[in-house]
Amino acid sequence: MYTFVSCDIFDYHPYDGKIKGKTNVNAKNIERITESCKGLKEFKFAFISDTQRWYDETEDVVKDINSRQDIKFVIHGGDISDFGVTKEFLWQRDILERLNVPYVCCIGNHDCIGTGEDVFQKVFGNPNFAFTAGNIRFICLNTVALEYDYSNPIPNFDFIENEINYSDSNVEKTIFCMHCRPYDDQFNNNVAKAFEHYVLSCKHIQFCITGHIHRTEIIDLFGDGLMYYTCNCIGNREYYIFTIKDNGYEYEVVDY
Amino acid sequence: MRLLIINVIFLFFVGIGISFSQTLDSLDGDKVHKISYYENRIHKYREGWGNVIPTYFKAQFAGGMGVLSLGFGWDYGHHDQWETDLMFGYLPKFNTRKNKVTMTLKQNFIPWQKKIGKEYSYNPFICGLYLNTVFSDQFWVKEPDRYPKGYYGFSSKIRFHAFIGQRFTYNIRENKFKHWKDISFFYEISTCDLYVVSAFTNKDIRLKDILSLSLGVKFQIF
Repeated sequence: MYTFVSCDIFDYHPYDGKIKGKTNVNAKNIERITESCKGLKEFKFAFISDTQRWYDETEDVVKDINSRQDIKFVIHGGDISDFGVTKEFLWQRDILERLNVPYVCCIGNHDCIGTGEDVFQKVFGNPNFAFTAGNIRFICLNTVALEYDYSNPIPNFDFIENEINYSDSNVEKTIFCMHCRPYDDQFNNNVAKAFEHYVLSCKHIQFCITGHIHRTEIIDLFGDGLMYYTCNCIGNREYYIFTIKDNGYEYEVVDY
Repeated sequence: MRLLIINVIFLFFVGIGISFSQTLDSLDGDKVHKISYYENRIHKYREGWGNVIPTYFKAQFAGGMGVLSLGFGWDYGHHDQWETDLMFGYLPKFNTRKNKVTMTLKQNFIPWQKKIGKEYSYNPFICGLYLNTVFSDQFWVKEPDRYPKGYYGFSSKIRFHAFIGQRFTYNIRENKFKHWKDISFFYEISTCDLYVVSAFTNKDIRLKDILSLSLGVKFQIF
């Protein structure tokens, strides 16, 4: 009888939004990241993206990252789910929970299908969030404008402006993370240049990391020197490792 | 809903057919007992509509169509081995923004029946398919126009489910308080298209992750 009650054997609807297990993952993990990177000026982090319906490959990337001792945390570039189905978020969360290091998730366009965004908010948190790791401010944005109408500002310039004005003596540099980069099909391309202007206003902006297009691409998108690193999907078994140095940074495309 | 519409159209044409043949019959001139054209037409009309009166009601818990679904349906076939249900389900909002109502069109197949004494019977295997749709503006049948054609390539609003299960029936005796002909209790193990697609390409998603249980009761009227 105990297993009968405790197991999630009843399914009310694929989009029911019934959540079992850990919620508010990003906020909980941000605390751990800030703590473990405190005072660091040099550290490594991994960036994975587009893990939708590639559970086996996600499982493998978790194992690959766990086999390294030098990664401080992992950022997921969005598209956790393929259909926005509630169970997909929980399956992916449960795989990512096996990481030895904390992780945070950005929102992708697939995560907005049906009740997906509601579930994302509950399981991971607000789609716009920022955190400090060592001397770097990571600004993670919802950039999937095609999924919303004008009642939701995507990208949210007020949020970016708050971050521009964010004053913390520990913060010396900024990195942006988002699912879609400017000029992708999902981005609000009317404000692409304004967005770039805001990004460049952030304290010592280093680079931007994105996903969505399912291939690795490194490009100076606006010809202004700011690099956009686009991460391959996990189905193609590639991810990034960025090494933050006191003076600059290095990146590695990992094929696993 | 579509079944009903087809039935109504069918009845309409049957009605026209009957009225035509009746005109021919009345020309023969049966003078002993003459049923008027109108009476006959109304009789056939009532009889036709009588065929679409649901023969049972059903209530089902879970099964991917809401927490609780209520509906009615029709059984047919030589051994009443086919059943078609139309159900409406209630889905509370849980962690989403709105409560929702769903609608299900369900086809059941009940190939075998075993009698246990006079009052009980048992169906060792039932199976079927159902289509579920959810009434909410968060979902679409076809992607809205703002997306490039075939952007997501599936419908978030319509789900296909398949199930297998078993059923146990209590045939109510005449001398007891009789409101229903019989009452059946059933359980079903089901899954839906999006779960199957997810499990199909991943070892990590097991059968137990995509199967779920639902419980139901059927009240047979006649």
